[in-house]
Formats: sequence, C-alpha cells, structure tokens
Amino acid sequence: MTTTGGTGMSHWHVSEELAGRYAAGSMTETDAWSVEKHVEACGGCAARISAAVRARPETGAALDAVRAGVLAAVAAEGAPVRGPARSARRRSPGAVTRAGRLLWAAGPALRAPWLLALVLVAVGALALAYGAGAGEAVRPLLLVVAPVLPLAGVALSYGRHADPMHEITAATPSGGLRLLLTRTAAVLAVSIPALTLAGAALPPSAGWPGAAAWLLPGLAMTLAALALGSYVGCRTGATSVAVAWAAVVVLPVLAASPPATTGAAAEAARYFAGPAAQAGWAAGALVCAALLAVRRRSFDHLEKL
Amino acid sequence: MSGIEAVNTVEVRALTVRHRRTTALDAVDLDFAPGVHGLLGPNGAGKTSLIRVLATVAAPSAGRVELLGQEVGAGSDHRGRAEVRRRLGYLPQEFGYYPGFTVREFVSYVAWLKEMDAAAVPAAVEHAVDRVGLADRIDAKVKTLSGGMVRRVGIAQAIVNDPDLLLLDEPTAGLDPEQRVEFRALIRELGRTTTVIVSTHLVEDIAAACTDVTLIEAGRIAYRGTTQELTDLGGTEDGEAQRPDGNPIERGYTAALRAHRAAVANR
Repeated sequence: MTTTGGTGMSHWHVSEELAGRYAAGSMTETDAWSVEKHVEACGGCAARISAAVRARPETGAALDAVRAGVLAAVAAEGAPVRGPARSARRRSPGAVTRAGRLLWAAGPALRAPWLLALVLVAVGALALAYGAGAGEAVRPLLLVVAPVLPLAGVALSYGRHADPMHEITAATPSGGLRLLLTRTAAVLAVSIPALTLAGAALPPSAGWPGAAAWLLPGLAMTLAALALGSYVGCRTGATSVAVAWAAVVVLPVLAASPPATTGAAAEAARYFAGPAAQAGWAAGALVCAALLAVRRRSFDHLEKL
Repeated sequence: MSGIEAVNTVEVRALTVRHRRTTALDAVDLDFAPGVHGLLGPNGAGKTSLIRVLATVAAPSAGRVELLGQEVGAGSDHRGRAEVRRRLGYLPQEFGYYPGFTVREFVSYVAWLKEMDAAAVPAAVEHAVDRVGLADRIDAKVKTLSGGMVRRVGIAQAIVNDPDLLLLDEPTAGLDPEQRVEFRALIRELGRTTTVIVSTHLVEDIAAACTDVTLIEAGRIAYRGTTQELTDLGGTEDGEAQRPDGNPIERGYTAALRAHRAAVANR
C-alpha cells in the first residue's frame, strides 16, 4: 500500500473538473489517493484543489473552522518567541504541574494506618489535656513521643517490606534515594504541622520548652534513620532509632509512677530545652545529612539476597 | 529472524546467584538480541532469579551482566544503570499497587518513576493501556479489576516507556485463553524492535510467541535452540504419531530436560 506511484508519474495534472469532483467528494477512493499523492509535490494542482474546496460553501466553512481552531490553539500555547521547546514543555496541556506531580508521587507514602496513628496521637493529647484533666503533664508526653512518629511513617512507606510496588520501583531510575526523600518529605509535611499545632494548643508546662522544641530532634532522628537505613534497610534503620529513643527517653517518663513522673519528665526535658540541646540536635542532623549524601547511591544498589 | 546480524542487547557471563545456601543460577552464559525469547523450566529452576537480575532488581553473586551495552552488575556505575533502567520494562511475577490508584494513575506513576518526559506521559499511558486491551477501564480503580486484568495493567506499566528490553515473568498467569492469544500477538509485535524475554512454565506460550527457547533446569542452561528445533526434538524422539503425553513441543521439552539430566548425572 505504501508503494504507490514511484518517482516518474507527474506527467499529468489535476484539471478544474477533477478538482471540482475532488472537492465534492464524488471521486473514487483510489483516484482521490492519486490526487492527494500528486498535490504533495505539485504546487499548481494544490492551488487548484484548494480553490475548488474553498468555493464550496460547506467545505469552505469547515476549512475556516479548522484554521480558527489551529490559531486559537497556537495562541493558547503562548508566544513561542523565546525557547519554544522549553515553553512548550512547561505549558504542556494536561500535564500536572511539577508541585502537583511531586505531591502525587509522594501520596502513597501516607499510609492509612500511619495517618490514623498520627491523628490519634494529636487528638489523644488534646483529649487527655482538656477532657481528662491531665493538664500540663501532657505536653512533655507529646514532645517525647512526637519524634518517633515520622520514623514510623518513613519505615512504613519505603522498601521491600513496606511498599507494595517495591518490585516495580526497584527496576526504575527513580526508585532509590529520590523516591525515599520524596516520601520522607511527605511524611514530614504532614506530621510536623499536626504535632506542632497539637502541642501549641496544650497548656504549657513548667520547665518545658515550647511546642516547636521537637522539630530539630525529629529531623535529626529521621535523617539518622535514613543514614542508618543506607546500611541495613529503612525499616531496620527507623526501628533501631525509635528503639534507642524509647530506651533512653520515653520509657523512663512512662514507667515512672505518678508522683515521680515530674522528676523523670524533668530528666527528659534536658533533651529538648536550652540552646545547647538544640544545637546538639542540629549538629546531629547535619552529620546524618552528610552521611546520607555520601551514601546516596546505596539506595539504588541492587538487592543482595 | 534471519538476515541481518542483530547486536546483542543482553550479555550474561558466568552469572551466579545464590540465595543464602542454595544456588539459584550456576555460572550461566547467555546472549539475547531483539526478538521474543522464551525462558522455560520447571518451577524453582532459576527463571525468576535470572529475570530479577536482568531487571536490575537483584544483584548477581558473581559474574558479569551487560544490558543495552552497559554493565549493571554489583560494582557498576550509577549513571549507567539509571540509563539502562530508563529503557527497561519489567513485569514481576507478583506486584502490588496502592489501593486508591486507577489504571491511568498506576501506569502514569510508573512512567514518572522511569523519568519519562512529562509532556509525553499522558499519551504514552493511553497507548500502553490500549495495547493491553483495557482502554475502556482506564479510569477504573485497579482494586476493582479481576486478576487477569491486573496482570494486563502490569504489562501496560512495563511497556509504557517503549522499552528496549522487556522482561516478563509469567505474563500469561491468570489470563483466560482469549486474552492469552491477544497477549502473544502483542509480544510478537513488540519483539520486532525490542528484546523481549518471557519466563513461563507454559510450553504453549513458547510455541505461539517465541522465536527461540532457553531451557533452565536447577540453575543451569539445559537447552538452547529455536522453537522449531525444540519441536523437532519431540517429533523425532520416537515414531509414534499420536501419543497421550502431549504435543511435539511438549515432548521436545521433556526430551531436552531428560537429556540434560542424563548428561549431568554422567558428569
């Protein structure tokens, strides 16, 4: 079918009568193909066909509509004066914006059970403080628990054990650190406002810093989990950091019987309060980020069995 | 498949894969050029281990793996591997999906992971979904689809980037007979330009779609040849025309397997 004509077939031309029949659509299909093939190479005949088509009211109107449509589409694309390739790419119709795409790519990170746990902690803290009358004892509890929640979110969103699509993502170029960081960012973007706002709504407690005090510890621990995860996998990395935190800080507070709670909590407050503690967390976060940058390739490495 | 000497897109040398104590693949040498290649073997022979190494998911314990001209083994360069992964399509034997995803979202998500040009993604997704015959279900949630349809969604995500190397692990599992026929036509078409490697335990998949067969048994290559050669092996095994133990290619498969086992036993 593609071998029509050959090269030396242009010894005929489209007559006015033939052009009229073509415009009217009364030509046989094979003859119409011949005409179309011919006008690709012959300007005079193309002009004759064009005039014949315009002369007919219904085809003329259709042509005008197509012309208007094309012009409108070109205008909508924006003036392609500077960098046409770039602007066409940015304004591609139907393509989601970059921010939207990132959010969407991160979406699966926010696993339902984890979101539920986050809401439970935030709402539970408020209920405990105002509903159960625990008052100012609650904010230290929330501060102590908060850094663990992003860890859980990371552990539940990336890797062979947690991600149902892992077998597919592992074979893609973005399946490594890029995907992990996108999902970690999504986890932080949800947990930071939720936990900080809940903390701010709680009554302040004596000797304890404000609701934002957990941010640097939380960030440092998340980065530590990722850095550790580059050696042992994200689930193990996050679990190890969470267990270490629980052993050092959370358990003493929770285990202390009510009269001693204040003492244990005061002990725990040392990890948050004051510029020295916060600077320590910031330094820790930087070290972990640097380690993660060094180990960035480990996440796209092949699975070792 | 005759004519121009095709360039090998897959070159595997002395590939060994161990899972803890057991050896899944034992010093395997293989080459593949564009076309449709069947990997056949009993369950547990090492087919999935081979596919996962070729998909750059699992690391070889030893040996060299070169895909599309790039080394992708354990010590390989990150950039080279990312380059290969952009041109790869992989249908795992089992895969999951996020509960909220529609077919379109699922395939688009994989296109994003494969770093495709954002402007080209919507059309590529529709084309891929259309090729597996799910155009009318493109906006349905994946979780509402039947097993065979989910399998086809898996094939769509594998081909969305027009891969140069397509790895399909048990692609016909869960497909009904009509869908299998359509699927084989699709991979024959893809095989004109792409290196398609199909792992299967169904001999009829091989007969209908593949130009050549690699038989794997207990981590070793038991047989390599064209589909016709394997069929001939079954036909000449003994003279009986009608036998209850399957068609010529099934008998060829059994004969090749037996010959390999005998050779191993005598070693």
